[in-house]
Parts: sequence; structure tokens; C-alpha cells
Amino acid sequence: MTASTRVSGAMGNTRPVLPSLIIFLIFCAIFNDRLYAQPVADPAAELAITKNTPADLGTQLEANLKQNNKCLKCHSREKIKTLESGEELSLQVHRDDFTSSAHGEIACVSCHEAIGSRRHPSKKTNITISSRRDYSVEMNQSCRSCHDKKSTQYEGSIHFSMVGQGSEKAPVCTDCHSAHAVETMTVYQPETGFPCKKCHENIFIAYAESVHGTARISGNVIRDKHIQAPICSDCHRSHEVTAVEIGDTLRSQCFGCHENVPLLHSQWLPNAGTHLDIVSCAVCHAPFAKHRFDLHLYDNIAQVPVNQQESYKLFQQQLQDIEVGGNVDPLAVWKLIEESNETSLPANISLRGRMEVRSGVWAHQIASKSFAVRTCDSCHQAGNRQALDVTVSVPQQDGRIQRFETDREELDSVGAMKSISEFFAIGGNKNRLLDILVLLSLIIGVAIPVGHFTLGQMIKEKLDRGEQ
Amino acid sequence: MATKNPEQVQLKSWKKTSDGELYINPLPVRIWHWLHAMGFVVLILTGIQIRYTNLFNVLTFETAVKTHNWVAFAVIANYFIWLGFYLFSDRITVYHPELNPRKFFDKAFEQARYYSYGIFKGERSPHKVQPYDKFNPMQSITYQIVMLLVVPVQFITGIMMWDIKRFESWIAMFGGIQVIDTVHVLVFIFFLSFTMIHAYMGALGQKPSTHFKEMFTGFEEEYEE
Repeated sequence: MTASTRVSGAMGNTRPVLPSLIIFLIFCAIFNDRLYAQPVADPAAELAITKNTPADLGTQLEANLKQNNKCLKCHSREKIKTLESGEELSLQVHRDDFTSSAHGEIACVSCHEAIGSRRHPSKKTNITISSRRDYSVEMNQSCRSCHDKKSTQYEGSIHFSMVGQGSEKAPVCTDCHSAHAVETMTVYQPETGFPCKKCHENIFIAYAESVHGTARISGNVIRDKHIQAPICSDCHRSHEVTAVEIGDTLRSQCFGCHENVPLLHSQWLPNAGTHLDIVSCAVCHAPFAKHRFDLHLYDNIAQVPVNQQESYKLFQQQLQDIEVGGNVDPLAVWKLIEESNETSLPANISLRGRMEVRSGVWAHQIASKSFAVRTCDSCHQAGNRQALDVTVSVPQQDGRIQRFETDREELDSVGAMKSISEFFAIGGNKNRLLDILVLLSLIIGVAIPVGHFTLGQMIKEKLDRGEQ
Repeated sequence: MATKNPEQVQLKSWKKTSDGELYINPLPVRIWHWLHAMGFVVLILTGIQIRYTNLFNVLTFETAVKTHNWVAFAVIANYFIWLGFYLFSDRITVYHPELNPRKFFDKAFEQARYYSYGIFKGERSPHKVQPYDKFNPMQSITYQIVMLLVVPVQFITGIMMWDIKRFESWIAMFGGIQVIDTVHVLVFIFFLSFTMIHAYMGALGQKPSTHFKEMFTGFEEEYEE
């Protein structure tokens, strides 16, 4: 075959190709937008609030409202979705609640990014949700896109730790702020206890009856003076809520407002600085509270209570091991500390004592100053101290404290000189051996003079009789 | 301070009344002694009240602590009257009339024999009280241990407990507040019996009132031969 033959052969097949080309062009014309369209931009990104000029914002707002109206057209009606757990999730959003909320002008898809206008789940593309709780936890991430700082603070909180541990009760964003009726900060007032009261009702009632709560409710007035009485978040923070921990976190909150406390106490209280260190404010300022004597581990180098840091993990595990039936012997803890200080523990740790109130409810029953306990007997009188709970506390990974009961007699033992050498309440905990020595000294102090005098009289009489 | 020859000091500054009394206790010593005695009694009583609030309720804990603290500082200040007087006067010889250990222990043994036996037979004390040789060897050694060791230990531990926060590092150095308190209480235990025995032995002079009178007036009657 020559070259010319091959060319002519090709030209000879052009007639059947033409109709195919025409059909292809018609097909392209019809389905042009589907074949050559750009990828769909994320509707959330399209509608997200950006830093624009007022004019741009106006346009943005208008677009958001228009988009939201589309959503609410269906979702303002009662709709139920059955979840994998068998729970029912209402998909209804009350229009008025949402539009009047702090998020009323934000597009629905800003939070519900996975449900864009072109990706809305249908019966065929159903989104599966395992449970209401899981969905709430998952939606926490949506909040971060705008509230990054608050989200970071929340992730350092005891609430977040508990969520991570699988707690069903620990709050996520929507538990406090609600999902769609998001309120502004002005709503969080002590009169209602919202939102803390929802989980901490007993504590809120105690607070509401306290000097702080009553002052706040009565318009921040105490003894005819205007004061800014604290609400929950003033002491516990709103997002970085920490566990009720050992240490001076909460005390420093008290000092934040009552800055002259050290000076006022030093004017009448012996060893005021030490008292403020080891006696929690509520012990004296919640006059009806019952007390607890707590022994905790203290890092003498860092000068902070042992916490949930990585370096203490092994030690904490060892502490768990010496627990017997919910009880821990302080002497055993001390022995463990001694051994650990020599070997594995990268710190110099000791066991320190702290006087606390027994429950969070009592901790919030702070009374007016005139009702504060000013007698020392509750701590410095051995008889009263017998009524105390004595615990050894170990910080957990999430910052919460695990408390073990211990034998209160340990505080009076000779071994306490070693195990709790850093703590001593005069008159409160007494070394029994010293009590015996005191009695012995008293007996010697009487017996020697009386014995010497009596012996002298006897010898004199004997000598007198001999002379006669 | 150099020790003086007893013969030299005897010639130097003896005061003798017409009744033959010797001037044994100068005014600073008497002031110190009685302030110290009163202070110690108050410290012992308030100390008992502080430690045994469940047994006695004469004072509130707060009053007992504050009284204890104030009196303790007065006693500390008073201690320096004693220290200053003996450091800056020639009367320090009452503690060391001569530095002869052999002689000292012989005399101490003799004195112990007197207290345990001779006194009952009406013997004279082997030690003759002189202005510059006031103490018998038993008194001398006991008072030096008490005043130079035991009392300062009590002061130091007490001061540490008076302001725990200020002396935090010192307290930690000595093993913690429990150790400091235990030492303070042990010294208190010692003083409890010491004070009672000391008062009793004060009545073992030529007459029961002899030494008490001496501590008030400064003069001691010479032995009736």
C-alpha cells in the first residue's frame, strides 16, 4: 500500500461521522451547564459574614435573610427526624425565636455548613445522626468558626473535659446558649440563674440567698452602697470553667474584689497569711457550713498543688494503687512521696492540709461579714475537730478532685510529724505522745517537791527519835 | 570575759549591811528574774489553755494566743536585760567563778549529796553564797543550759510559730511546722516541771524565805554560825 492510497481511503469515510458530530453538539448545548460548570462554591463561605463596608454588609444581610427565609419556609413547621439511637430530633426552628436571637441575622448555613442549598439531604441522600448528644457535640465546631477565642477557652474547661470523657450531662455550647434562640449576654443574670442553674440548681439557690446573690438581686446594693455583686461567671469564668480545685484559684477571685482582705485579717487574726493560705474563705464566711480537713499533694519546687500535669501521672497512678476500700492512709501517702521523690517524681512533693467546706452548696452560702465566724474553736479545739471529715485528695486528669476518706486519728499520731509535717493547727491536732509527756512532767513537778519534803520530814523524825 | 580570781573579787565590791547581809542580787538581776518568772507563769498557763481548749475554758483561744504572743515578746526583751547585764558586768563570775572542771564536778557531787541526804540532817550547804560566786555547781550548770540553750530554743520556735508565713523557709529547713511545734511543746514540758521544782528548791535556804527574800531585796543573810 502506498501513501496516496491511505489518504484517499480516509477521505472516503467522512460521510457517517457528520451526523454523530451534530448529535454531540446538540447534547453539549443542552447539558452545557452540567458538563463545564465550575465546582459549586461552599454556600456557607458565600454567605459568611465578612468585614465589608456598611453597604456590603447591607447586601450580605439581605442575602442572609433571603436564604434563611428559604430554610424557614420548611423548618418553621414541625419536622421530626428519627436518629440512629431511636431518639427523635425536632428539625423545627421557631421563626420568631431565631430572628430575634443574637444570631437572627446570620445565615443558617453559616452553622449548618454541611447542609448547603445544593446539598440539602433528601430521602435518598439522608444524613445519618447517631444521637442528639453526638450532634450537639459535633455542632460545637460550628461555633468555633466565629467564636474562636471562646471555643479555645471552653476547651480548657472542666465542662469540655467531661464531654471528652463521655459525660452526657456536661454542657456543650448549645446547652447554655441554646441552638437557635441564642441570647445576648444581658440575659445571663442571677435573678434567673440562667444558664448555670439548669445543672447546678442547689448551688444557685445557695448563691441566691447569699450576701452576693441578695445584693445582686436587690440591684447591687449593700448597706446603702452600690457594689457590683458577682454572678457565677465572675468567680468561675463563663467558658474556661475550672474544676473546684485545690489551690488559690477561687481565693484569688475573692481577693479580686476584696483586695484589702489580707490587711483586714492581719489586724486581728494571728498568722493571718497562713490562715488565708490554708483555710478557704467559706469556712469562716459561710457560718452554717460543715467543714472538711483535706490533705493534698503540694509541689514544693513549683509552689503549687500537684495538678493533672503529665509529670505527675505515674505518681497519681501509684496513689490510686494504695487506696483500700475508698480509704487512704496519709502515712502511706507520705511513704509513697518519699519513695517517689527519690526515684521517679520530678518534683519535691509534700502533703499539706487545708480546711474546706464539705460541699459546693455550703461554699456558696457566703453570709454578710457580721455573721462570719470569728471563734477559733472549730479548728483549734480537738473535740470539735473530731466532727470533721478528713480526706486525702488526688487531682484527676480532668482537673477534678478525687477524695479518699482517711482515719482522722492519723492527724494526732506521732507519724503525722512526718506525713503532714507542713500542717499543724495548734490545739486542733495534738500528738498523743506529747500529751502523755505533759502529764508526766506535771507528775514529776509535783512528786519531786512532795517526795523530797516528805522524805526530809521522815528522816528528821527518825533522827529526832534517835536523839531522844 | 576573763574569769577573776575569787580572792580579788571578794575584795572589790562587796556590800554588807550592818546586819551582816551580803548584796547578792543587783537590781537588773532582780528585775529580770521576777519579770521572767511572771512571764513564764503566764506563758505556761496560756500555753495550756491554747493546747487544751477542750479541757479548760478560762480564756478564749484568740485571747490566749494574743496574750501568749505579747507576753512572749516581753519575756524575750527581758532576756536581753539578763544577757546584757552579765555580758557587760563583772558579775558573770557567778556562773564561772573558776574554770576547773575537776573541782566543778567534785563540788557538784557534794552538792547533790547535800540535797539528797545532808539537808535532811540539818547540814549546811557545801556552797557558801557570795556576790561573785552565787551559784552552787548544780545551779550554775543548770541555769547556763536553761538560759543559753533551752530558753533560746523556745524563743526561736515560738517566733517561728508567731508568723509562720514570714519564717516559712526556716520552718521548712527544720522539717516543717509539726517539728517546730513539737520542739516548742517539749521545751514547755521541761519548763512545766522545772518551774515547780525551781520554786520548791527556792525554799530550801537557811529558812524557807531566805532565797525569796534575797530575790526581792538583793541581800542575803549570812549563815548563822
